[in-house]
Amino acid sequence: MDSKQLEQLLEKYWNCETSLEEEKQLREHFRGEVPENLKETADLFRYFETQQSQAVVGSDFDAVVRKKIKQQQPKGKSVSMIFNFARIAAGLLVVVTATYFVRQEVRKAYPPEIVDTYSDPKLALEETKKALMMISKSFNKAQKEAGKIKAFNEAEEKLQKQGKTEEMI
Amino acid sequence: MNLEMFETLVLPTKNKLYRFAFRLLGSSEEAQDVVQDVFIKLWNGRDQLAEVQNMEAWCMRITKNLSLDRIRARQRRSTDSINDAFEIRHEGLTPHERTEIHENMQQINQMIAALPEKQRQVIHLRDIEGYSYNEICEILELDMNQVKVNLFRARSAVREKLVKMNAYGL
Repeated sequence: MDSKQLEQLLEKYWNCETSLEEEKQLREHFRGEVPENLKETADLFRYFETQQSQAVVGSDFDAVVRKKIKQQQPKGKSVSMIFNFARIAAGLLVVVTATYFVRQEVRKAYPPEIVDTYSDPKLALEETKKALMMISKSFNKAQKEAGKIKAFNEAEEKLQKQGKTEEMI
Repeated sequence: MNLEMFETLVLPTKNKLYRFAFRLLGSSEEAQDVVQDVFIKLWNGRDQLAEVQNMEAWCMRITKNLSLDRIRARQRRSTDSINDAFEIRHEGLTPHERTEIHENMQQINQMIAALPEKQRQVIHLRDIEGYSYNEICEILELDMNQVKVNLFRARSAVREKLVKMNAYGL
């Protein structure tokens, strides 16, 4: 590569127009002797190269990773199993306690004594009749009142009819 | 994924992941912790990895995310512990030249460390790791335009500083 080509390639590099292959060429070129005015640029490319060879310090890195991975495997599973069991157990506990309290409330609300209040069937019949009579009396009263509303309706209808006949005239 | 696949596909990416984490975190120890965390995360989620097409890019992405989490956690950026692992592949230099190159390398290291986070990420992935633009998009979860803009700004900033270095050097 002559100096003119190099300058062109560098210009391309600064403008981010070089391909990976061209960037590799530049790095290779700057390994050798360089003119004084490109000394710093050469250092930059040398810097890039030296950085590529930087590696993990410590030779036991792989061993440490392998060990950690092996530790991770069973632990992760058992934790998730315990977690799943705990979830199911918690759900069951909530259902059981809820049922218990609901049952207690139901028992309080409907005491069993209410089931039988009369021991004599005749007396019970009398009471029932009384109650039914009371209801029927109330119904009759209501019907009378409703009759009055009917009279109103009839009167209104009559008025409407009259109105219509008057309009026709 | 089984252990064998993990050994052949994933574990060899460790140095790339380490360098990227180191670039972001500036600490060798933390960078190694991050890489271990990435591998453990990957191993624990190995059943869902079927849809991952580019395993390496995926690992790089997780490395970026975990490193950024750490940066956020400590709320400060440390660039002081950058080590002096600049092995120069250049034969026949005088001790004076070696020292000079070494100093320049450290200056370059500092100027890259001083770049804004995105620019630092992009220039590392492109110029040190040699990823294609598409891969960088995937790793950084950015679109092509953002990647190119960030790379352009990063290179421009570096160029400007190199010119200054040159001026002082003379």
